Parts: sequence; C-alpha cells; structure tokens
Amino acid sequence: MTGLMRKDLLVLRKQLRTYLIFLVIYGALSVAGLFPLAAVAAMIQILMVMLPISAFSFDEIARWDRYAAALPGGRRAMVTSRYLFTFLVALAAAVLGAATCLILSRTTGEPVAEGLAAVLACLGLGLFIADVLLPLCYKWGVERARPWMYVVIFVPVLLFVGAWYLGLLDWLNAVPEEAVLFLTAGAALLPFAGMLISWRISLAIMEHKDL
Amino acid sequence: MTNCIEIHGLRKSYGSFALNDIHLTLPGGAIMGLIGENGAGKTTTIKCMLGLIRRDGGEIALLGRDILTQDREAKRDIGVVLDECFFHNSLRPRDIGSILAPFFPTWDDGLYRSYLDKFSLPAGQPVKEFSRGMKMKLSLAAALAHRPKLLILDEATAGLDPVVRDEILEEFLAFVCDEDHAILLSSHITGDLEKVADYITYLHQGEVVLSGAKDDILERYGRVGCTAGQLAALPREELVRVRRGQFGCEALVADRAAFRRRHPELPVDRVTLDDIMVFVGRGEQA
Repeated sequence: MTGLMRKDLLVLRKQLRTYLIFLVIYGALSVAGLFPLAAVAAMIQILMVMLPISAFSFDEIARWDRYAAALPGGRRAMVTSRYLFTFLVALAAAVLGAATCLILSRTTGEPVAEGLAAVLACLGLGLFIADVLLPLCYKWGVERARPWMYVVIFVPVLLFVGAWYLGLLDWLNAVPEEAVLFLTAGAALLPFAGMLISWRISLAIMEHKDL
Repeated sequence: MTNCIEIHGLRKSYGSFALNDIHLTLPGGAIMGLIGENGAGKTTTIKCMLGLIRRDGGEIALLGRDILTQDREAKRDIGVVLDECFFHNSLRPRDIGSILAPFFPTWDDGLYRSYLDKFSLPAGQPVKEFSRGMKMKLSLAAALAHRPKLLILDEATAGLDPVVRDEILEEFLAFVCDEDHAILLSSHITGDLEKVADYITYLHQGEVVLSGAKDDILERYGRVGCTAGQLAALPREELVRVRRGQFGCEALVADRAAFRRRHPELPVDRVTLDDIMVFVGRGEQA
C-alpha cells in the first residue's frame, strides 16, 4: 500500500510543485491581508482534493489498474491506498490552512477560533467531495465522473449562498458564536465518517469490475 | 513436486465469447507457450489466472496456492509482464523500483539495478522517452527483481525486433534453469516458442485444441500434400484437418510416421506451430 501511495506522489510531483507555488503566493496575500483566510483555506482544500482525481486520470492513461490488481494486495490495496492518500492530502491541506490561520492571528490579530472553524469546514467539504467522487471514479472512470465533480463542488456552495440570500440562515445570528464554531467543527467530522462508507462502496465496485 | 500452474475446468463467458473447460498444467523448470488466434482466449485465461476478471467456474492454483483464497501469497512469487507497459510516462525506472519494493518482501534492489544495467535502461530517464523494446525490458526487469518462481507473460515479446526478442528469450531460458521456476508465455510469435518452449497449449475459440510437449507435437504432426482425388480416398479418421486449394490439397495428420507407413506414396512433411494454427484456424474438418 505504501508503494501505491508513493506512486501517486511520484506521478503527481509536478502538479504538487505547481500547487505549492500557488499556495505560497495566496498564503502571502492572505498574511498581507489582501485575501480572506476562508477563501485561501477553501482553495487549498479544493486543490488538494483534485489530486486523487488527477491520480485516477494518470492511472487511466497508463492503464495502471490492470497491473496494480495483479500485484500482491490486489484491488483492496488499490482502493485503500487511494482513500488513505486522499485523506492525507486533505489533512495536509487542513494543516496548511491552520498554519496560515495561526500566522494571521499573530500578524493581523484575526481570531484563531474563527479561522480554524473555516479550515475545519473546508476539510469537511474536501472530504465530502472525495466521498462522493471516488466511488464514481471507480464506477465510471474520471471522464464520466468529472461532471459530478462540479455538481458536488458547486451545488452545496449555491445552496448555502441561496439560503443566505433568502434569509433562511438568519436564525444562525441568534445562535452563540461558540456554538456555531462547535457545530462547524462537528459537521466537518461527518464526511470523515462518510469515508468509511465511501471506501466500502468503492471496494465493492472494484471487486466486481473486470480489468 | 507441486506444479507451478494447475487449471481445471476454467470457464468464463462474455456472451458472444466463452472460455470453455480449460485444463492446463505446467510443471517446474519448464516454459509453456500459449498460442492461439486473436480472440482465442489467451488473454482471458491469463486475466482469470491473475484475478483481473471473475471466472464463472473452475479452479486455478498458482504455485500450489488457490488464486482466490491465497491471492496475496501466490502473487508474491509471481512476476507479470502484460502486453503493454503499464508504468506512467513520468515515472523513471528508479521510481518504479521504489514503488514495487514494498509489495514484495523478497524485492532485491541490487538485482533490479543489475537488470537495468544489463538491458541498458537508464535509471533516471522517464518512461515516456523509452522505445517499446525498452519498455518491455523495463517490465521484465520489474517482474524479475523480486526473484519470482513463476513468470506470466502475455504477448511480452510482441512488436519487438529479433535482437531484443533474442535477448529476452535468453533471459527466460536462464530463469527456468531453476527447477522450481516456470514461465507461461502467450505469444503469436510461434518461432520464439519453438526456440524456448517445453510445452505448447493451443487455444482455439475458447477451447484447448492441443496441449502437450512441444517436441512431441512437432515430431508427431505432419502435413500431407495431395490432390483432391487422393484426399477423397484417404480414411477420414487419419486426418485432423484439411485445406482444399486451387492447386491441390493438404491435410494435417496427428501421427506422421504411422501415416507414412500406411501411405508411402504421399509426401508427409514436418509442421511448424504456425502450420498447425493455420490448419485449425482456416482448414476444415476432414
């Protein structure tokens, strides 16, 4: 399994380097107060969650799955390593976001709790996207799953913004700030639990797939 | 001694095509050539062996282990080279070594590097810059570096020039010097198999039509050249397949020596594996 995760890292190293440059630039803009932390945290998370999807793409081009399934560990190792890789990149994105948040609290005096809640919410969103997309990629392949990626990313955002404009979230103003932060953190953990369900679905899809 | 490959009653149906009751046994220290036309079922058989597709029935044991229940243990001792190179274009041979090493407790990095040197493969060059021959040699180096006992090769020498093929065939012969080792080699290049294979299994339309020791097959089978009239006079049971042409007829016989004794007036030549395939594929029942 470590071999498969190492493969993902090696195949994506160019992409990772590019993302790192983006992150440094936007991180600096955020520290300089030119960019809101929540936007940077969300961007980091979306970029990182794109990595496993890109890994699927590269695997499809190389037709890697046929070879990987013939290795010891087979399909189970393939699926499990992809989920571990996804979780680790999402976690790395959250750690990066949290680090930016701590730097911001020192430099601009922004409240840490609010920043960390944004980071956790983004981690939750990132994991939710992965929970939905990974089984679809296993079932249909990246090309056919890609339209769903936009649905999964944009529909929750549109719903949230729509509800905000329609005043459906006004009741949140009455809830104490600490409780909102606590709820946000709790909500972020749900997609984490969802990973287990998503993993089992992907495993079942792969076990029945002819390669 | 345990057979390296034992397949009994293998079945797999795709609707329009079906593998039907495949039996195959490969002892240690031997190379088996799996031959057949395109779509005859060679790759399907290999995919079933490696668990890449689900079989409908039958049993497969590799190195004495059931491939369904002891999949991990069985695969640790197997090296696989399929019909194309599955390594990503951006990877370099040294990356591939570091990716595969954790899969195999017996992975020998020194051996892997020695194969890279032997095959003149630069460890730091990306796969995308390799020729097809280099890619296949890389696949072979990766398949051999964990000291497998069984090599399964699907069209591994297809599209390679004779020099590279000869180099790879030499490697196969060296590999089976160990009595515990065996190779299953599916190939259209029957000339290669005539050079290195000990056994031949011929698949035709999803069924085994011929299986046995290569020397015995080539020694026994023969091609009879005759006229349409002579062919009509021959007993049907002595002929395996016949081909009728504009300028004459030919028949495949299963026992060349016996046929020559019974029909000294007719010329009987030795056959190649290609000849047998053409008779079965294009000929007709006697």
